[in-house]
Amino acid sequence: MSLEQFKNRTVGTQVYKTLDLGETPKSGMDRFKQVVKRTFSLELFVGLWVTIREMGNALFGGNMHTVKYPFEKLPISPRYRAIHDMLRLLESGHYRCIGCGLCEKICISNCISMDTRYDENQRKEVSEYTINFGRCIFCGYCAEVCPELAIVHGGRYENASEQRAGFSIFEDMLTPIDKLNLQQEYDGFGAVTPNADENIKKTPLAY
Amino acid sequence: MSEVETLDNMISITINGTEFRAKEGEFILNAARANDVFIPAICYLTRCSPTLACRICLVEADGKQVYACNAKVKEGMSVTTDTPNILEERRAIMEVYDVNHPLQCGVCDQSGECELQNYTLELGIDSQSYMIPDTKRETANWSSILHYDAGLCIVCERCTTVCKDMIGDSAITTVKRGGAVLSKDYKDTMPKDAYSMWNKLQKSVIAPSSGTGETNCSDCGECIAVCPVGALVSRDFVYSTNAWDLTRIPAVSAHSSDGSQIYYEVKPTSIADRTPKIYRVTNEWSYSTLDGSARFGYDFENAGVSKDKEAFAKAIEAFGKAETIRFNSMITNEEAMMLQTLKEEKGIKLYNPEVRAFQKFLSYYNDASGNSLYTTDTDAIMKNSDFVISVGMAMRNDSPAMKYAFNNVQKMNKGAGLYFHPVGDTLIPTFGKSIESFVHKAGLEEASLYLILDLFADAEKLPSAVKDYIASFKREEKETIKEKVIKTVTETVVNADSGEEEEVSKKVTTMEDKEITVTRNGLIDILGNDSSKFDAIFEKMMKKKANFSLMIGEDFYYHKKASNLAKLIALIEATTSIKVVMTPPKSNALGVALICDLDDEATGYTIGYNEIGDFRLSALGDGDLDIPAFNQQEGTMISISKRVLPTNAGLPYGGYELNDIMSELVSSLDNTIDWTPLLPTAKGFKEVSFDSLPNSYTNEGVDNRGYRLSVTSVDVELPVVDKFDESDVLEGEIAYRCNPARQFNDFTDKANQIFETFSLYASPDKAESLGDKVEVVFANGTIELDVVADEKIKGDIVEVPDFKSAKDVYSLFGESRYQTVTIRKV
Amino acid sequence: METTLVENLPEVTALGVIIKAIIILAVISALAGFGTYIERKVLAFMQRRLGPMHVGPFGLLQIAADGIKLFTKEDIVPQNANKLIFKIAPAITAATAFIALSSVPVFPDFTIPEMVFGVTIPLVGGVFVPSIASDINIGILFVLGMMAAGLYGPLLAGMSQANKWGIIGSARTAVQFLSYEVVTGLSILAPIMIVGSLSFVDFNNAQAGGIGSWLIWQQPVAFVLFLIAGFAETNRTPFDLLEHEAEVVSGYATEYSGMRWGMFFIGEYANMITVAIIASIVFLGGYDSSYELGWLMIILKISFFFFLMLWVRAAWPHVRPDQLMWLCWKVLMPIAVINIVVTGIVIMV
Repeated sequence: MSLEQFKNRTVGTQVYKTLDLGETPKSGMDRFKQVVKRTFSLELFVGLWVTIREMGNALFGGNMHTVKYPFEKLPISPRYRAIHDMLRLLESGHYRCIGCGLCEKICISNCISMDTRYDENQRKEVSEYTINFGRCIFCGYCAEVCPELAIVHGGRYENASEQRAGFSIFEDMLTPIDKLNLQQEYDGFGAVTPNADENIKKTPLAY
Repeated sequence: MSEVETLDNMISITINGTEFRAKEGEFILNAARANDVFIPAICYLTRCSPTLACRICLVEADGKQVYACNAKVKEGMSVTTDTPNILEERRAIMEVYDVNHPLQCGVCDQSGECELQNYTLELGIDSQSYMIPDTKRETANWSSILHYDAGLCIVCERCTTVCKDMIGDSAITTVKRGGAVLSKDYKDTMPKDAYSMWNKLQKSVIAPSSGTGETNCSDCGECIAVCPVGALVSRDFVYSTNAWDLTRIPAVSAHSSDGSQIYYEVKPTSIADRTPKIYRVTNEWSYSTLDGSARFGYDFENAGVSKDKEAFAKAIEAFGKAETIRFNSMITNEEAMMLQTLKEEKGIKLYNPEVRAFQKFLSYYNDASGNSLYTTDTDAIMKNSDFVISVGMAMRNDSPAMKYAFNNVQKMNKGAGLYFHPVGDTLIPTFGKSIESFVHKAGLEEASLYLILDLFADAEKLPSAVKDYIASFKREEKETIKEKVIKTVTETVVNADSGEEEEVSKKVTTMEDKEITVTRNGLIDILGNDSSKFDAIFEKMMKKKANFSLMIGEDFYYHKKASNLAKLIALIEATTSIKVVMTPPKSNALGVALICDLDDEATGYTIGYNEIGDFRLSALGDGDLDIPAFNQQEGTMISISKRVLPTNAGLPYGGYELNDIMSELVSSLDNTIDWTPLLPTAKGFKEVSFDSLPNSYTNEGVDNRGYRLSVTSVDVELPVVDKFDESDVLEGEIAYRCNPARQFNDFTDKANQIFETFSLYASPDKAESLGDKVEVVFANGTIELDVVADEKIKGDIVEVPDFKSAKDVYSLFGESRYQTVTIRKV
Repeated sequence: METTLVENLPEVTALGVIIKAIIILAVISALAGFGTYIERKVLAFMQRRLGPMHVGPFGLLQIAADGIKLFTKEDIVPQNANKLIFKIAPAITAATAFIALSSVPVFPDFTIPEMVFGVTIPLVGGVFVPSIASDINIGILFVLGMMAAGLYGPLLAGMSQANKWGIIGSARTAVQFLSYEVVTGLSILAPIMIVGSLSFVDFNNAQAGGIGSWLIWQQPVAFVLFLIAGFAETNRTPFDLLEHEAEVVSGYATEYSGMRWGMFFIGEYANMITVAIIASIVFLGGYDSSYELGWLMIILKISFFFFLMLWVRAAWPHVRPDQLMWLCWKVLMPIAVINIVVTGIVIMV
């Protein structure tokens, strides 16, 4: 994608129709003519017809648009940014997070914090990880900056609870180990681009 | 460092077409840095010798490629830092550094402060041309604090350089790595310097020089500070936080009198506990060097304190009936000023055994020399001096700044040194080749000064009495030496052919004894050295030496004849070119000595300020009223370099402080730091508010922190000095009041990363003979201590620490640092 | 004009009138609540939504939920309001609306049976309950008068609440109601001239001859004018300027909450029903008492008008105040006057 394309932030099909609104009446006579014309062409009844037609469609044509939300749900985009998910490595099942702290650093609402320590295997271990969802603005920077594709945004948007702490525990965000095979890669910000391979410069290795 | 730059040694050079002024004899790199010109350099450390490991500081000087860290500037020199060839070399060098460097920047403790990362980005390394099989390099713990990740190491040798040239321990060195051999193809295809740098890099890795895998050093952690990558980290800090999360709070090291510049690096303790915690201490390692107490003795704060009104009321009551306040040198100038105000207004005595002797000694010195304070400091010694003499201090333990200066002079200024001390030390002679140490008997400190007078004094200036006294030690000795003599011998030989006798003369070489007369200096023998060899050695030491310094230690302040010692020092200064520096015993001893009128003894109801007493104000959390610890306080303190340095509160404090008590007792100011401009100008302080004190170094390395005390000097007559008395010498079992390195007070003891215990320290032989635990019997008390062997001690004198105020070791020793004791095994 | 119908009926007692009044109050109040449900549902369907769904089957108990809400909400009286008037104003609106209903025929007359399943009903047993609570012979005049008096509700409410939006709301009330009072009166004058009576019963009887005898065929212009004016009088879209949210927050009702606001609401719906009843009786033949389902016919007619009001709300935007005035004085009133003149001439000829 070239820079020009990237900078074009106009979304949608960009196919627009222009309405013919006619001439604006200028003299009193014009205005009178307009009133007469509109009255006798029964424009008012067109409006009435449209609404009664839609009512008929809705009631009998099965064209009702209401989604009964808690019982019915619309599918959400894979790029939707709701409560974060912590992904695991598919091979080992170990969580992907390496505790680099980039998400903590980049977070513009300053809501991520983590504690790390030196563990028995001489690795950096994340001992605590929290997101303050009272502050999180779901901007997606953390997912974008994560070098391990470990923190991503999930689809969990029904966030009403008595305590915010309830959905900010690392274990709660982590993919359950028994559902590892259902783990989805995230397509949103920070995901690997389809042409990533082309953009990488190869490093020579001696083995 | 001398404050005044002399203009006559400035020359002009051209760097990349712009003309700059530079000091003559300086390295190109330093001249560039002083003028804010950037030349990349990884392995070079200011104040240390060039290592030539990285070769990235390559520049072209007058058409020749040189290393900027190693080539000195010359008048009119033209330097170019970016010729195509140099840029090619630099790129190749950086690419080589990136070969096989683990891509674990995400977890690396250097977290963004990495010089490898910075230079890789700076030089725009976006692809790699070289490769070699990697060698597995194991992570190791070198000591209780040092953690080394060999995989991350780029073998720039900064750690080994600083350990050798600055610290003096030489505890780490480069060893063979056993890596793959570089392909010969590279020799032809890659830039020359990059190839040789890689060749060396591929072969080496850093390891403790003892060969045991343990560093066995003073654990100062300076190697951690200088490491450009995350290879060297303190064990406590490994993976605990990212550097960018830490808030830097500039402060001054609280424990030794070095007054080292430090940063407390602060962050909340954990997710659950949001109270700030100091994660580590860092420093401007290019310009200042820390000792172990400064770097690791930071977590001594008085935590979780709130305003205890009841205790405060009791404290006010206690101050009402107090006769004496006992305190130590762990106090800011402002608080010392408050105590002095209390003395003036309420007549409360001030008792400070740590500082009193030093204060007296300063006044003796002042009377004898006319100087209000000693004349040089450790920074200036490092910069200029090439001959240092240390008297009266266990340098390794008492004053890190002195140790670093003594060592640095040997390494950087091609210097020489004399070390006088009753306790033998195995480390100090290793600082350089031209070091002579005198392990004399305790009590002969005056003799050492007389010897210095003899060696250095301008004979014409010396009073005749002194001259005669010194001459009285000289003795003429007949000495038999073997000499080669060539003689012509004439013999009468019968010629075999002719049967005639004829005279034949031939030359014969024989060795003959010859008696000559030599002058022997008895003082040298008295001081435990060999007078027969010393003259020759000293002659060698004095070659090309111009700048002499004398370091005075704490032994002199606690000496029976302190007054005479001070006079002798004054005499030395008056008759030689030697400049003098004295060690304030501990942290802010100099400030206390200048501000407070101290009393000789404590009487009646005593308030202990971080000390023992009937009512205890304590920052250790165990007193009757809590007060803030040094890392929770704002204020100023005076370093050994006579600078009034501002320090800031690294951590919050919620309780009462001395200023609150002052407000109750006598009227006081709003904040402790409001006292800063009120410090006595008569003693050299300036009327400057705390907030306007600067706190920085320039790129040249000029110390701009706080302000320098003004030192006055008046002309006085030469002091009349007493002779020394050999009968003062202590015999038998001797204990020396001396802390292990890194321990200074209760606060260093409280710090988690300072492990040295409150024990009896002795040389390995002595320790073996003493067993595990002993009772040391003094004239006025006993103390029971474990015995710890210190490989760096030589001789039979044992060291008893004083860093726990509760043990009141000062009372045991009384007026001297040396005491004859009886040691019983327990 | 004499009517035979009335004379054949049993005597109207005071008890019967009281019972009738109670029935009107109860039923119309309930209908007002039900009207909100219908309005929400109809609007929702026209916008292809479902409307209230969750309280009760098809959301039918939404009315109960709303009622509970209105009754239990905190009753706030602003500090600087004229408290007495502030409290009385909603009552005026509701009262005038119901008083107007006292002289229109609502439901057929009936006699309470003396016995139900063998049990004697005490007190009210055998009492005759009339169709019209108070069958005065100037019913139309009375209804128009009461509806005009209803203007005091919003007017006083807006002026007493010490709120700028309220003041604007009440100013609009005065302007809109007074102006359209003229059109209402003039438009209904023509049918009155034809029938020659002000009694609803007379109107009903005059059109008793089937659909062909409905006055709408003789007075189509008057019907349209009356309908437009009725929308304005009842403060319905497209003439809901009194409390138009987009312009004046909530107009005269800005500071009202809880049941006081609820009373304005009930008044509005009662007025809608009143207007629907008048239009049904005057122009569309009213009820037919000649057979049992005659009453069903008027309920259907009323329902049609009610539905029309909702339909219009869903379809049309509202007008500006200046357009409203322009329409009233420059268009509707002249047409109404012309209509009267033409009707007069026709009657005379």
